[in-house]
Amino acid sequence: MSPAYDGHLPAELTLTDAAIAEDAAALELVWRDAPGFWGWLTTVDHKSIGKRYIITAFLMFIAGGIEAAMMRTQLARPENGFLGPDLYNQIFTTHGTTMMFLFAVPMMNAMGLYFVPLMVGARNVAFPRLNAFGYWCYLVGVVFLYVSLFVNMGPNTGWTAYVPLSGPQYSPGHRVDVWAQLVTFTEIAALAAAVNIIVTTFKMRAPGMSLNRIPLFVWAQLVVSFMIVFAMPAVATGSTIMLAADRAVDTQWFNPAEGGDALLWQHVFWFFGHPEVYIIFLPALGMVTPIVETFSRRRVFGYTALVLANISTAFFAFGLWVHHMFATPIPELGQSMFTAASMLIAIPTGVQIFCWIVTMWSGRPRLTTAMLFVLGFIFTFVIGGITGVMLASVSFDQQAHDTFFVVAHFHYVLLGGAVTPLMGAFYFWFPKVTGRLLDETLGKWHFWLFVIGVNLTFFPMHILGLDGMPRRVYTYLAPTGWGSLNLVASIGALVIATSIVIFIVNVALSYRGGELAGADPWHSSGLEWATPSPAPSYNFLHTRIVGSRHPLWEPTADAPVLVGLSMQRREVLLTSTFDARPDSRNHHPDPSIWPLYVALCMGVTFIGSIFSPYFILGGIGLAFVGLFGWAWQSSHAAGHELIAPPDAAEVA
Amino acid sequence: MRRLRPAGSVAELPTVTFGHRSLMWWGTLGFMTIEGWTTALLIACYFYLRQNFETWPPLRTPLPSLLIPSINLVVMLISIVPAWLVARAGKRLDALPMRRWLVVSSLFGIAILVLRWYELWALNVRWDTNAYGTAAWTLVGFHATLLVLDVADTIGLTLFLFIKRMPPKTFSDAADNSFYWYFTVCLWIPLYLIVYVGPRIF
Amino acid sequence: MLGVGGVIWLIVICAMIYAARSPHGEPGEDGLLQVSDATHHAMERVVVGAGIVTVVVLLAFLSYDFAVGEALAQHPNRALTIDLVGHQWWWEATYEDPDPSKRVTTANEIHIPVGQPVQFKLRSADVIHSFWVPTLNGKRDLIPGYVSSQWFTADTAGTYRGQCAEFCGLEHAKMALYIIAEPPARFAAWLAAASTDPKPPTDPTLRYGQQVFMSANCAVCHTIGGTQAMATVGPNLTHLKSRRTIAAGTLANNAANLTGWIVDPQAIKPGTLMPKSTLQPAELQALIAYLETLK
Repeated sequence: MSPAYDGHLPAELTLTDAAIAEDAAALELVWRDAPGFWGWLTTVDHKSIGKRYIITAFLMFIAGGIEAAMMRTQLARPENGFLGPDLYNQIFTTHGTTMMFLFAVPMMNAMGLYFVPLMVGARNVAFPRLNAFGYWCYLVGVVFLYVSLFVNMGPNTGWTAYVPLSGPQYSPGHRVDVWAQLVTFTEIAALAAAVNIIVTTFKMRAPGMSLNRIPLFVWAQLVVSFMIVFAMPAVATGSTIMLAADRAVDTQWFNPAEGGDALLWQHVFWFFGHPEVYIIFLPALGMVTPIVETFSRRRVFGYTALVLANISTAFFAFGLWVHHMFATPIPELGQSMFTAASMLIAIPTGVQIFCWIVTMWSGRPRLTTAMLFVLGFIFTFVIGGITGVMLASVSFDQQAHDTFFVVAHFHYVLLGGAVTPLMGAFYFWFPKVTGRLLDETLGKWHFWLFVIGVNLTFFPMHILGLDGMPRRVYTYLAPTGWGSLNLVASIGALVIATSIVIFIVNVALSYRGGELAGADPWHSSGLEWATPSPAPSYNFLHTRIVGSRHPLWEPTADAPVLVGLSMQRREVLLTSTFDARPDSRNHHPDPSIWPLYVALCMGVTFIGSIFSPYFILGGIGLAFVGLFGWAWQSSHAAGHELIAPPDAAEVA
Repeated sequence: MRRLRPAGSVAELPTVTFGHRSLMWWGTLGFMTIEGWTTALLIACYFYLRQNFETWPPLRTPLPSLLIPSINLVVMLISIVPAWLVARAGKRLDALPMRRWLVVSSLFGIAILVLRWYELWALNVRWDTNAYGTAAWTLVGFHATLLVLDVADTIGLTLFLFIKRMPPKTFSDAADNSFYWYFTVCLWIPLYLIVYVGPRIF
Repeated sequence: MLGVGGVIWLIVICAMIYAARSPHGEPGEDGLLQVSDATHHAMERVVVGAGIVTVVVLLAFLSYDFAVGEALAQHPNRALTIDLVGHQWWWEATYEDPDPSKRVTTANEIHIPVGQPVQFKLRSADVIHSFWVPTLNGKRDLIPGYVSSQWFTADTAGTYRGQCAEFCGLEHAKMALYIIAEPPARFAAWLAAASTDPKPPTDPTLRYGQQVFMSANCAVCHTIGGTQAMATVGPNLTHLKSRRTIAAGTLANNAANLTGWIVDPQAIKPGTLMPKSTLQPAELQALIAYLETLK
């Protein structure tokens, strides 16, 4: 089954400029979206889907930021009257829920769905319609949450929704149901993205890109996708199978009177919740390596160490969850194990930072905006990492738990550890998506204001927490003396907001008017830079052969490719899992309305279930129609098929 | 950008493959991992709640009955045979036997679903009576959703084979469907033991 | 830990800035920079060395933490056991005593003797709350279905303010409590006074006030020792005036605030279970006068 690596080339395989232009036109016809609004609804192009995912997630970042601004306004002075308790509780819940479920994870998934196929040299993700379906489910969730907030049905028990407060007795009405079903939509979207990224990375890499040659960005996405597969089911179980059921049909999961257990919720939630923060954090680390390499003009030091650090962090992350429960009556011996794990997880991340620092040292770092954000990441994140190690200590945590100290810690690691590299990534890859560079001057303003703002807002919170200010309070009394630091924090929030406005202005100006980038403005090493900017619908004209970890930095005069994928229908190349030897060609689906339809049916099912269990039957029934249509579309016999007998030697 | 230099062609590579060479196999594996892991989490929750009770089932809650669940377990195990025969026919690219055995599989599936409905009531407790009832109903009910999906998938595939001329890829998809069927049945074995046999032992 | 952490951060940042600003490496044929083998080995040593230092520091922290945990886990003989029940949004405290008639129930303000260990048994009447007085104890959650226990000793006399530390609904922000640690003799005197019911009022206005209390539904939720008001939905008011604050630390305990609270608790703590009052001014005045006598 191996292809012709033996050098036999039929005469018609020489590539003249005219041939290239012809091929490009033919492929464009095959791979482009359908025209108009219908095309927008039916696209299965990972770049179209990725772009809208990124934009939607960024809008959620803004929404969460507005909620944060409201909270900071309320807390700027003691006994402030800007937000009453009911509204404040909805706002802080929605802020956390939006940032964690609707911004952070979807954004990291979106970056993966957009860039992983380009980075591994593929034309699309493995399951294009599943990709579209995931996005539509996510969008349903977004609309659902925000409509609920505006009709005074916003969830109000925190993004963690502890029982019994969130149970049927203490939260009557539908607010918590909104939260529980929102989790369902985002969980489906994340799992769809994860399966896509895993299978794309395993089966669709460019020939020669063995597993030990894949870029670190892709490694991070791969590891995180596995984490999603094992973490998301926990929160879906908790929110949909347990909490929503307790509320709707009187199951007794959390009712102590009937043998249920309030702590069970915390275990189930945090078994998801702790890996969740690493699901957000690790992709950002994956973004740092290509930026450091490119601007230091060096191959990164310690590729293997970085890969192992990612993998070990992922494993460790599943063994930490009880550190969220140190104030509960669980056995002390158990607590000690979680303390140890929570401290030791700092080691792999530390190793990654050391590798990047020596890489920079051994190169000549060019301080573009993207590179500055990497420096800002180290500056801010290390503070958060250190407070994290402190919080791992049970005795320290019992002072700091549920206070503003913890709020400071997790904002430092999330904003410093995930959002800061993400912003650097925006500056780095914006040219690939749009064909134009972001403005560097505005970028530097954005950078400085953002880093200063984050530190100004959240550093005082460490002190507030140690001074006794608990979190999730809509106000505090003047004699506590917490007013001045809160005011400083609120001013810091204004600085952050300003930096984001500058970024948005930069994007708006650069989208049409920025300097043209060309295929490879930074002279970087990844395959995504081997195609025009923005990438054509088919990504790569022909399949690039890869010989190292840094394909575009290989010392070859030309670009070796494999030809032979169909120009009449959508075809992608599948390669073997470990060594990426070409294995088969796969017929990929044309644009399809079924993903949107099935996602809407999921919407009916889960949103309706809040009001009546019969909606579940109806929604599922409608969904089956869609799944039938989806399968029907797959079953079009198209063209001549070459079948590989199953008992032939299978390529490893 | 560098000049493209063709170094070979993939035009002769197959377009339909079986097993781990096919994307659908991986998709199926992914789905199985997610659902299997969710089941493991639910089992952990079942045992977590067990700690809150002196006796299991709790006082005044009857034991689940064994008759219908055991019948269904046997039917499920037997149903592996037609599923296996579907996969074999698929790998031999033999459309007629594959279609025939898919019909048999579908009938088995429907029977299993009917029995599953009675299995739920064989628990002899309601889901809202106490935490034991909740946990037992959830383990059986969650697996029931996997069964529903699998049987619907099988029936859908069968219908397609009768309605239209299917592309060769269907042979591979049918084999993957059987793969999923083995998983669903095997996943039931520990669940059956935990829910129906377990309370008699611990 | 803060100190060590700060030093580590400083070292990392200085290393980062140095790395970013110091050009190194020679251009190779591919236009990229490379370093000599010797330098590469040096880099390896730096990374491995830094990794080892990290491990050592973390293990040191870990040992320190275990030692502290060991110390905190010692259980001395208890002088006093207090049963603390969390409610939405106030604290119910009962001083245990083998003799039921000596048990004292109060709310939101807890007296303890200085220098003697006190054990708290923590329960919740509704949702999860958390008991935390920053300078006295590490926080402990009050979880329905569980009884957890915690002890501590107040080394210095004084008034300590705590606040509920687990989000418990609308008025989580206004669920504070005070612990007053006093010399054992003073504490004993307080406890004796607290276990004595107030005498029935003789003054006509005060008697009228007590009547208003009984008939205007106050007695549906509150207890006043020695009267027919024995409900436990809301805080025990037997010695209301002995407390510094009302509404779980929200307002200073004076007649004006008490009046405002009774007239419209929703204005001060929206969502609290206590309804607005429908009392006439004369009834209200008498009621306040009566309540002011409950020392």
